[in-house]
Amino acid sequence: MSEDIINVSGLEVKIGKKTILDGIEVGFSSGECVLIAGANGAGKSTFLKCLTGVVLPDKGDVRYTGGIGPEKIGFISDQLSLFENFTVMQGIDFHTRVFGIENFDTSLIDDLRFDPAQKIKHLSAGERTLFNLSLVWSQQPQVLLIDEIIHVIDPFLRDKFLEAVIDLMDRCNTTVFMVNHTFSEIEKIPERVLVMADGRFIVDENTDVLARSLKKVISRAELPSDCPVIFYQQYAAEREYFIYPCNPELVERHPYEYLPVDLTEIVKTFIGGQYAKKRME
Amino acid sequence: MFRSSIDFGSPLPIYRQLIHLVKLEILSGRLEQGDQLPPIRELAKSLKLNPNTVAKAYYTLEAEGFVESRRGSGNWVNYKPGNLDELRKGMVEDEWKGFLERAVSLGASSKHILDIVNRDLNNE
Repeated sequence: MSEDIINVSGLEVKIGKKTILDGIEVGFSSGECVLIAGANGAGKSTFLKCLTGVVLPDKGDVRYTGGIGPEKIGFISDQLSLFENFTVMQGIDFHTRVFGIENFDTSLIDDLRFDPAQKIKHLSAGERTLFNLSLVWSQQPQVLLIDEIIHVIDPFLRDKFLEAVIDLMDRCNTTVFMVNHTFSEIEKIPERVLVMADGRFIVDENTDVLARSLKKVISRAELPSDCPVIFYQQYAAEREYFIYPCNPELVERHPYEYLPVDLTEIVKTFIGGQYAKKRME
Repeated sequence: MFRSSIDFGSPLPIYRQLIHLVKLEILSGRLEQGDQLPPIRELAKSLKLNPNTVAKAYYTLEAEGFVESRRGSGNWVNYKPGNLDELRKGMVEDEWKGFLERAVSLGASSKHILDIVNRDLNNE
């Protein structure tokens, strides 16, 4: 991996008395694809907004290197206001002028057959998302932030959306951040997973490492106390135990059947572990 | 583009699964000596993979002697004829080990397994 292009240090954001981001230290390199997961209210969206510069931190900062300015950072969110009363054409015109884009590439929205005179506020959720992506796409962003949007669009548009993101990653070596709650369509894309809880990252790990070292054991008997169980769920007489980190030495000591998990279960494990911890407090 | 899919939950990392798929295409003859592999970007889009993962699979295939990368023009199937026989042997053994593990976990005895093998090979 190349050197970090984004450095986040001591990042703190408060809203009233509530701490939303609690002293985050993290770096990201060029071309990386990062998944940010966490319970509702963990601070994921605020973190993304700090990366875009929409939210200014109370303490600490986000530094970009390599001459990345706002015109190279794309943000896609369903909460974004896209000049609602503009028509599609006016929106494109405005965006291209603000960002100095000479050739607006319409290939992402060609299939949608927009009426250029249609107002942006009358687009469907899927159409808005693709429209938003096509604006950002034309900026050839070095950084792309995608905030909980993939699940609101239909499977056909979702494919187009993901293919466009993959295309950017390959063509522009774009660093991509995805904040998500559903993972099946995207689980093979991110190479790094960050899990957020209470304004901090409690997990920052390579996806392959997580897939290798987080395992599920189904058992009627309770697991021994030296098994690092993060979280369990009871189903009738059996429990599903989620174990992390699981290594060959543990497998040898306790020869259960260690089952593989998917990305949804990986994330659920850490979030579930946090909820369980809160119940104990 | 390929006949099988890639499974996140598999014990093999994704790039390893992709290498396996390319090797299957080669062994089955669907990809022949001198054919071009799908471009990295197109394959990543079709399988919804990170392009870095596809690139890693392609370098590894190159290092293992199945693929030649030509600067600016993509990746091409290129192997020494002997490599293919060895690959076939290795993959058949892997399949066999997998079968044996599953059969043993179902409680099959050695005799039961041998009987099945003898019966089916004689029927061929």
